[in-house]
Amino acid sequence: MNAFSLAPLILILPFLGFLFNALVGRRFVEADRRVGEQWTGWLASSMALVAFLVSASLGVSLAAGGFEAQTVKLWDWVVIPAAEFHVPWAIQVDTLSVTMMLVVTGVGSLIHIYAIGYMHGDRDFSRFFAYLNLFIFFMLILVAGNNYLMLFVGWEGVGLCSYLLIGFWFDRVDEKKQPMNANAARKAMVVNRIGDFAMVLALILMFWTFRSLEFETIFGSAVEMFERGEMVHFGSFSAPLATVVTAITALFLMGATGKSAQLPLHVWLPDAMAGPTPVSALIHAATMVTSGIYLIVRSNVLYEIARESGARVLGAISSPDLVAYVGALTALYAGLIAFTQFDIKKVLAYSTVSQLGFMIAAAGMGAYVAAMFHLITHAFFKALLFLGSGSVIHGMEHGHHHVHTPSHPCPSQGEGQGRGFDPQDMRTMGGLWNKMPLTFVLYLTGALALAGIAPLAGFWSKDEILAHANENNGGVYVLLTLAAICTAFYMGRQLKMIFFGQPRHEAAEHASDSPAVMWVPLAVLAALAFFGGYYLNLPYFSQAAAEAAHGHPEGDFLRLESWLEHSLAAFELTEEGVVNLPHTPIVFSPTVAGISTVLAVGALAAAFFVVYARRPGTAHDPDPLEKTPIWWFAILPVNTLYMKGLVPAFNRTAAWLADTVDERWWHDFFHDRLLRDGFLGWTRFINDVVDTQGVDGALVNGSGRLARALADLLRRSQTGYVRNYALGVFLGVVALLAYFIFAG
Amino acid sequence: MPVVTTSWYVALSVALFTIGALGVLLRRNAVVIFMSVELMLNAANLAFVAFARHFNNLDGQIFVFFVITVAAAEVAVGLALIVAIFRTKNSINVDEINTMKG
Amino acid sequence: MGNPILFIILATIALASALGMLLNRNAVHSALFLILNMVTLAVLYLVLNAPFIAMVQITVYAGAIMVLFLFVIMLLGAERTSGPIRPGWQMYLTLLLTAVLLATFGAVLLGADGEGTAVAPTLDASPTAIGLTLFESYVFPFEVTSILLLAAMVGVVVLRMRRKG
Repeated sequence: MNAFSLAPLILILPFLGFLFNALVGRRFVEADRRVGEQWTGWLASSMALVAFLVSASLGVSLAAGGFEAQTVKLWDWVVIPAAEFHVPWAIQVDTLSVTMMLVVTGVGSLIHIYAIGYMHGDRDFSRFFAYLNLFIFFMLILVAGNNYLMLFVGWEGVGLCSYLLIGFWFDRVDEKKQPMNANAARKAMVVNRIGDFAMVLALILMFWTFRSLEFETIFGSAVEMFERGEMVHFGSFSAPLATVVTAITALFLMGATGKSAQLPLHVWLPDAMAGPTPVSALIHAATMVTSGIYLIVRSNVLYEIARESGARVLGAISSPDLVAYVGALTALYAGLIAFTQFDIKKVLAYSTVSQLGFMIAAAGMGAYVAAMFHLITHAFFKALLFLGSGSVIHGMEHGHHHVHTPSHPCPSQGEGQGRGFDPQDMRTMGGLWNKMPLTFVLYLTGALALAGIAPLAGFWSKDEILAHANENNGGVYVLLTLAAICTAFYMGRQLKMIFFGQPRHEAAEHASDSPAVMWVPLAVLAALAFFGGYYLNLPYFSQAAAEAAHGHPEGDFLRLESWLEHSLAAFELTEEGVVNLPHTPIVFSPTVAGISTVLAVGALAAAFFVVYARRPGTAHDPDPLEKTPIWWFAILPVNTLYMKGLVPAFNRTAAWLADTVDERWWHDFFHDRLLRDGFLGWTRFINDVVDTQGVDGALVNGSGRLARALADLLRRSQTGYVRNYALGVFLGVVALLAYFIFAG
Repeated sequence: MPVVTTSWYVALSVALFTIGALGVLLRRNAVVIFMSVELMLNAANLAFVAFARHFNNLDGQIFVFFVITVAAAEVAVGLALIVAIFRTKNSINVDEINTMKG
Repeated sequence: MGNPILFIILATIALASALGMLLNRNAVHSALFLILNMVTLAVLYLVLNAPFIAMVQITVYAGAIMVLFLFVIMLLGAERTSGPIRPGWQMYLTLLLTAVLLATFGAVLLGADGEGTAVAPTLDASPTAIGLTLFESYVFPFEVTSILLLAAMVGVVVLRMRRKG
């Protein structure tokens, strides 16, 4: 069965959903709130669902057809024969893009369904779904395009949708009358733009070097040029291909830092939590922010060439290594910051930044399959966590209103803010495990998956990255392990603060669980988070088994690797000997897994001990371990080292980290002052000086004044005296005569 | 004995023309200005006749004929105008006719 | 071309009368000087073998046009002087331009090869000949000129009409 002709549907359907919701959706919703919401919401969700089905059928067709990549061309977009510039609007169906499509549409449709319940009662219900569908549309363009220009269109498009969705409640102001949502949206846009600038430069370089922007063409000619050792000519100056490829890949890294919130452009992601929770789940956990990783994985050939050639960025570090270190450092940095956040979504936001760092580090180290694996599992459990946090927030608001105004109808998220009660503040939660049991179980699944506890999905994917790092890049391994510890710790802290102990606020005492339309998608995601890792990319459990399969993925093992191998040209190039792809160990390594599990469990336990249960405290609390019975130490001797030595140190470090967080606010301050104020000053300059004075004053008004001045001047020649006029005539005649006789 | 060539006549014509031009530009009496114009026309006529003789062609004289005719017509109309202006302004000093001053 | 002495005398009279017309403050005197100038020019035309033109000049120009001028001057009482020429920036500019003009003409004249026809002209410039040329080659301008004169006459009458209803 050939489903490739259906491929354009994945683009058409979400766009239709967007049009419907944008143009007529509002009328439906306002006519009859209950029915209208169902209509618009389910229509949008069904568009995403059908797109998911189409993607699935594409995957099946691929598998049936031998995993050959197919290009479904829609039409020719840019054709400039003189410059040999030809860019089609075409969908590339290969295993990598189908993987991304499945993630985007699958998780996306679950989130659409969730949002039907979450956004219930919101004034702009249809607009929300219009934007969501538009986002799916652009994201699919990004992952399905067969050339970098389409990818860039999708790139920009998702940036736009991110802006629209973060600032969805754009008229909301905080206590200081600042439009915080609008500011956050604008910040996201501006920071993304910086990355986009790097992307454009990379596109230009690529076109100059390879004369095309299509993936197949570029990768093919890159390999050829690399093998032949060709030089790239820029006018009078030429550079070896490796240098240019290094430059391109470094620029891609910059673009990815903008889009995937890596250091130093991560500042927009925490602020983006001002948007509705489904937005955070979809865009800032599962899909948009992963586009940076997709970009790097798609360009694996270029990165491997850069790695192979040994060319260095600024003479210091090779481009893929730079990617790896940026990712690892971001993972650690964000993980540390998450320790001290009190807003439930901010913790998850920093966690996202940290996990994205994992993925980017994996891609930088050449473990593309591991990066994609973690991308998929992260989409599952992070979306689960975000949606779960949405349920918690919803429940808290219900509780708050139940306490204060029992007759008041259900508010939508965030209406509780600005009235002195923040439903997102974890310090007011607690003891919700029996108030919202369903949410608790689902959230727990997600948290454990994130922390990397076997056999949940997060364990397998994170472990693969760590194993790869262990074998190939020790520095990154250390950084990532530390980040993993942080991950487990802050998730444990979050679990403790939200679900365990005693309720710390009356709202928490009266919290209630979510409706079915909200917890069913969560359940699906939880199932995926539970079983996904095992199903997707299980490594061989013994060296013997691996050798029996000749080191190739087979059967139940390494399914994802065998699936993705067909699209990651780097694998082929390794076999041909062109590049040396750092090898991901395919055998389960008990050492690495053991270390990471122990550390994760230990961190979780430490969190449970350290974090308060009843009354809000500070990080300067006396070490609670002093009250712990001694037999704990006997049972877990390894943990003793951590608990006796590391935990007090961690307490002190956490206190110091509060200052680091101040530091982060300084960073923000830096960004706010430098970027935002600079930008605003620049626009003000352009408006007041250039536009008002320059264009208006000098050009427009000035030309008027000039005309008037000239007229005044010329008016003096109209003296009214005939003799003056006669003189003028005489002057002209004499001049002409003299000219013709002497010069003519 | 120098021979009187055409250039001499042309030189005379130039001189008369210049004097006429000066008259137009420097005198303030409207009628005198007009007379200076007539002088200029006469100077041109002289040049025409001289060249007619030089090129042995009657066309120059024909042209003079027409110039005189047109000059007559022009003088008639011009003087009528001056009289009309005098009726209103009671002066033929061209410097006082400056209501078109912009 | 005749005697140089004759030419010089006539030229002197012509120039003198022109200057007299220019500089005289009395308008009537200016007109009389102009009449003298025109008569002199008529004599020059005779020397230049243009008898018909000479006669026409005296009859029409000196006899009709200048008389008309004198009529108007008398009518308007314009013999009253209007003051000397006031030196102003216009005067200096005029003199400058005049100098340029003279220089231009001088350059042309000096540069021209001055051989004039010293041979007796073979041109028949009698009224018969002029009449024939006029009606053969130049009949169209001739007729148009008649319309021009008609227009001038109509114009004069109109200008002199007082608005009576």
